[in-house]
Amino acid sequence: MPAKVSQRSSRPRGGPPVPGAGRGRQRPEFTTRRGLLIAAFMAPAAVFVAVFTYYPMVAGSQMAFRNWKLADLTDTSWVGLKNFGDVFGDPIWGTVLSNSALWVFGSIVPQLVIGFALALWLRRRFRFRGLYQALVFFPWAISGFLIGILFRWMFNSEFGVVNDLLQKAGLIDEPIAWLADPKMAMIAVLIANIWYGVTFFAIMILAALQSIPDELYEAAALDGASRTRTLFQITIPYIRTTLALTVLLRIIWIFNFPDLIFGMTGGGPNNETQIVTTWMIKITQQGDYGRASALGLLVVATLLVFAVFFLLATREKRGVKR
Amino acid sequence: MKRRTAALALATAATMILTGCSTMSPGESGTVTLNMVESLTNPARSDLLKELIADFEERNPKIKVNLISPPTEQADQKIRQMLQSGSGVDVLEVRDITVGPWSNNGWLYDMKKGLGGWKGWKAMTENAVKAAEDTKGRTYFVPYGFYGLSLFYRTDLIKEAGFSKPPTTWDELLEQATAIHDPSKRRYGYAFRGGANANSNATAVIEAYVADKIDTSNGYKLASGRTIFSAPEAQDALKTYLKLFKEASPKSSVSWGYPEMVEGFSNGSTGFLLQDPEVIATVSESKSVAKDQWDTAPLMAGPGGKTVQPLATAGWGVADGSDHKAAAVKLVKFLSEGKASTSFTKKNSLVPILRTAIDDPFYKTGPWSSYVTMTEHPDTYLNVSQPRGVAWWTEWEQKADADVQKMVLGKMTPKELLAGWDAYWTAKWQREK
Repeated sequence: MPAKVSQRSSRPRGGPPVPGAGRGRQRPEFTTRRGLLIAAFMAPAAVFVAVFTYYPMVAGSQMAFRNWKLADLTDTSWVGLKNFGDVFGDPIWGTVLSNSALWVFGSIVPQLVIGFALALWLRRRFRFRGLYQALVFFPWAISGFLIGILFRWMFNSEFGVVNDLLQKAGLIDEPIAWLADPKMAMIAVLIANIWYGVTFFAIMILAALQSIPDELYEAAALDGASRTRTLFQITIPYIRTTLALTVLLRIIWIFNFPDLIFGMTGGGPNNETQIVTTWMIKITQQGDYGRASALGLLVVATLLVFAVFFLLATREKRGVKR
Repeated sequence: MKRRTAALALATAATMILTGCSTMSPGESGTVTLNMVESLTNPARSDLLKELIADFEERNPKIKVNLISPPTEQADQKIRQMLQSGSGVDVLEVRDITVGPWSNNGWLYDMKKGLGGWKGWKAMTENAVKAAEDTKGRTYFVPYGFYGLSLFYRTDLIKEAGFSKPPTTWDELLEQATAIHDPSKRRYGYAFRGGANANSNATAVIEAYVADKIDTSNGYKLASGRTIFSAPEAQDALKTYLKLFKEASPKSSVSWGYPEMVEGFSNGSTGFLLQDPEVIATVSESKSVAKDQWDTAPLMAGPGGKTVQPLATAGWGVADGSDHKAAAVKLVKFLSEGKASTSFTKKNSLVPILRTAIDDPFYKTGPWSSYVTMTEHPDTYLNVSQPRGVAWWTEWEQKADADVQKMVLGKMTPKELLAGWDAYWTAKWQREK
């Protein structure tokens, strides 16, 4: 259904094309000269992307197959798949993987649910809605690392505001060692990330919600549909594509988002919050660029496979519906 | 629209050409422009450096210095990239932890010759002269000061707990910190370091316990040639240290790094803190702890009555790719002597490199006096070089930090930890041979 809507809206406005009008007058002919001109205009951007994006990517990738340690760059010989073997053979590899999965799904589900609720609520018209929207979206503008540091203090067991509030409210007797307790540290970073990411969902979903024509809701109301039914049969189906794409984007971003954890726990205590990307930073800091690159390539490969499957899956659903 | 685009393109092109030119041109009438990069950047320090540089430029009208101050977290990485590209840096801040890998890669200039016969050497403390040379006698940097450990303590809290003077040994520290520790009142004995850089304090306690048998040219080695972690005293050291965590430190200090430790002491909740002298400035500004409520004491000794000052250092060096090495060495000399050096160490809370600085009232009185005490008694507070310059230092730090955290969380015993560290260093040294 959304496809149809977008088709309709993308049709050029104004009257139908005049049959007799010559083509040349509407669109200038595409000559070699014109083509060259266009290429010349595009060249700086293409060169820029090639030099600053693709070249470092390729150069970085080849490090993954070499002995590339900053401590000694006099010997950067090819070592084949040794760096990958080192990654897989590391005793914390399993922990890192399960932590990454927990980090992604533990963040995304609450973010989606809360973000959706917020968007539904912000869609209604009320006083100061604009101001309120701005306030809700504000966290998204702050750097993840900074948020990590702020939450690190908030969750500090002795001097942090979280324990203080919980104790004053009588919910706990003793302070919780949030970031020092291996069981609590992941919960703490997840809470921070949920708070941070809800906003993005709210923005995206609100934008999608605003594209739903009011007539649909009016019709549903006339037919006596309940609110739940309207939600599941109009709202969600209508914005399904946006939802799917947002979830996909967010999964990739959260997977690639070490800033917050790095600011809060640095992957500790005892690697309990170590995810693939924080681990990669750690290895980079150790100066072993070869192993870090290998890990980076693994991340890219995983996300590519994931993205392809996800896109295929969401497309199939649309096909069935049609 | 078209005109605006054209103007924009012109402006961009102009900027590109101009910026390109400024690094390429040799400068008018023989003036040399030096690019100087700092690493442990902070705004106050950069301002001070700019003042010192202005002074230098005044004395050397043919030399201009362009100070580059990347943010601290990325600074060493930035400098590394600049060095790797082979140009753009003349003078740079070299740290004891970066000198190993950088010189190994041939990026640093050996200033030995340029500094031969320099009168500045005579004005320097023994520690400074020693730190300026690597094991093979090359000078890759001249230290600007030292970071050393001393014990920050609350005079009022230890008095309340019935002690007349601060602890002089690790055992006494454990006793006093335990007496002060009372979590129900939100009062803690010791600001334990379990997070970033946890390895530094753990090795400090081990070195104190093995001080009698240590190899003074390598703080991780015994005179016998084995690692300090293999000594039976190392196990006693870690047992005391673990007790200090369990009985006298806040639970969450498992993840405490520099900011939490300093906050814990300066907000008045923690009785003891082992830290660098730069913390003196922070605690002095505290509103929760008054001037008469705290002081510093020299680093605690082990059972043998001696201890090791694990000095960390950094200094100024010259890039091997620099085209103006003579001018660069001149700047390094200027920064390392006389008023320039004294004001740099004073304003950055560093242990000074100049002998005369110790007579300065600034260092003689108040919290600084414990550093002077340590410098004046090298028999008790041994001067031992730390192996911080080795190429694998950062790798080691991360491994060691993780292990300390495992130990305090009860996932590793002190014995297992020491066995691992012993094996690590033994293997590294063997491979080096």
